[in-house]
Amino acid sequence: MGRVMAEDAFEAVVGAHHAEIRRYLLRITARGSDADDLSQETFLRAFRAYRALPPGSNVRAWLFTIATNLGRNHFRAQGRRRRAYAAAAMEMRPDAPDRADGHVMVEEARDRLERAVGELPGKQRLAFIMRKMHELEYAEIGASLSCSEESARAHVFQALRKVRRSLDGHLPLEMESRS
Amino acid sequence: MSPQHPLCRAIEPDLLSVAAGEAETAAAGRVEAHVATCGLCREELANYRALEGMMDTLRRAPLRDDDATLARAQLASRLSDLRSRLVGFGIFPSPLGRILIGRSEQGVALVQYLPADGALSAHVRRLLGEDAVEDLPATEGLRAELVDYLEGRRARLDWPLDLRRMRSDFQRRVLEATAALPYGAVTSYAGIAARIGAPAAVRPVAQALRWNPLPIVIPCHRVIGGSGALIGYAGRRVELKQRLLAVEGVKTVAARNDFKVDREAMYTMVTGDREYCVPTCGSLLSKPLSELTLFGTRDRAEAAGFAPCTSCRPDLHPLPA
Repeated sequence: MGRVMAEDAFEAVVGAHHAEIRRYLLRITARGSDADDLSQETFLRAFRAYRALPPGSNVRAWLFTIATNLGRNHFRAQGRRRRAYAAAAMEMRPDAPDRADGHVMVEEARDRLERAVGELPGKQRLAFIMRKMHELEYAEIGASLSCSEESARAHVFQALRKVRRSLDGHLPLEMESRS
Repeated sequence: MSPQHPLCRAIEPDLLSVAAGEAETAAAGRVEAHVATCGLCREELANYRALEGMMDTLRRAPLRDDDATLARAQLASRLSDLRSRLVGFGIFPSPLGRILIGRSEQGVALVQYLPADGALSAHVRRLLGEDAVEDLPATEGLRAELVDYLEGRRARLDWPLDLRRMRSDFQRRVLEATAALPYGAVTSYAGIAARIGAPAAVRPVAQALRWNPLPIVIPCHRVIGGSGALIGYAGRRVELKQRLLAVEGVKTVAARNDFKVDREAMYTMVTGDREYCVPTCGSLLSKPLSELTLFGTRDRAEAAGFAPCTSCRPDLHPLPA
């Protein structure tokens, strides 16, 4: 029966994408409990709509769209934006910084970077996280935010400029650029 | 980069693309030419490249609270719950008009008579639930069996049922007692009330049957008034009840705005007995219908596992056909 096959296929969708979608929601909400709730809700919604999804669709981008909408509703409904942003700098920090690739991460610069991302306006922040943390295509980001590919690119660029500006005088860049 | 200089402002988007490693060749060329002469932009390109490097590190660094185990487990449980509630339905023509059958993972959840055309009523949509989806393949087998049943080619619908749409435990008991009525048998509303040990609850029984989510499958058409009148069915469509009973061999006569089962034309059994009789056996005709189960034909009574009475011998002296 068609439905049974669709359900098995959906198990594979959960297996392939749940961890990443939860990580995305963790980045935008900065709270593990919110990421738990919203990631479940994302996949419950996806399950209901899955059979109507045309074959060959980009399932990952589609899940990001659902998660993005839920995330935005969450902020809108809860009025938690400010609080989440304030918390973001604290909670997004990795437990164990990865320095294996030889980058010299100056802690203060990274704090500023995270705070700057947390303080970005809604769409810029989401676009920035989707692009820089999850490497989505601009067209996929545009679909998630109900805007054009060009607007998505513009959101990311605006975000980049703001983040860059926030690091004025705190970047250990001279050293790297001259090395 | 000089914020005031129009050339620097114009090159900035390209510069960001180059830093991110996503610039097209033409843009990369423009940036290369510009930074060859503009020291500020050269420095800014290096800054943006370093920023990209920081973000790359951040992207690959472990996140605090990045443990999806709990969310995955909760999701699995909620998905399993959703799947079991999810109703797939089909709508199709039948000898009794347009019919909807809905099934969940647990079994057949809904059978509804629909008007000849038009959208689903609020009542039906509520019964279906918000997650219902049209699923003809999932209901095709049920449709074929139901049509066989309605055309008298099949006497049983051995479907697993999903009884979660019951309004109350009382309704569940009423419908379970009704489901136990054999093919080709009738009793009264009071008869069902007596069977569930609530002999005074005749009206509540009628109400419970009125909201039967699974008509035909749970044969509420086999429950009639104490006088033998069919009383009601599917709103005001008592003719459907008459046709269903006719398929099962229960004859009725037209009465005012209704039909009536003639007790003198029915094989009769005291509910709980193992033998069926002609209606004139003993004092059967003076007993209320609530104590009796009636069959239209001997075949039906015997198919239900009952034997002919050894005193009135309906096998030797059958009722006129």
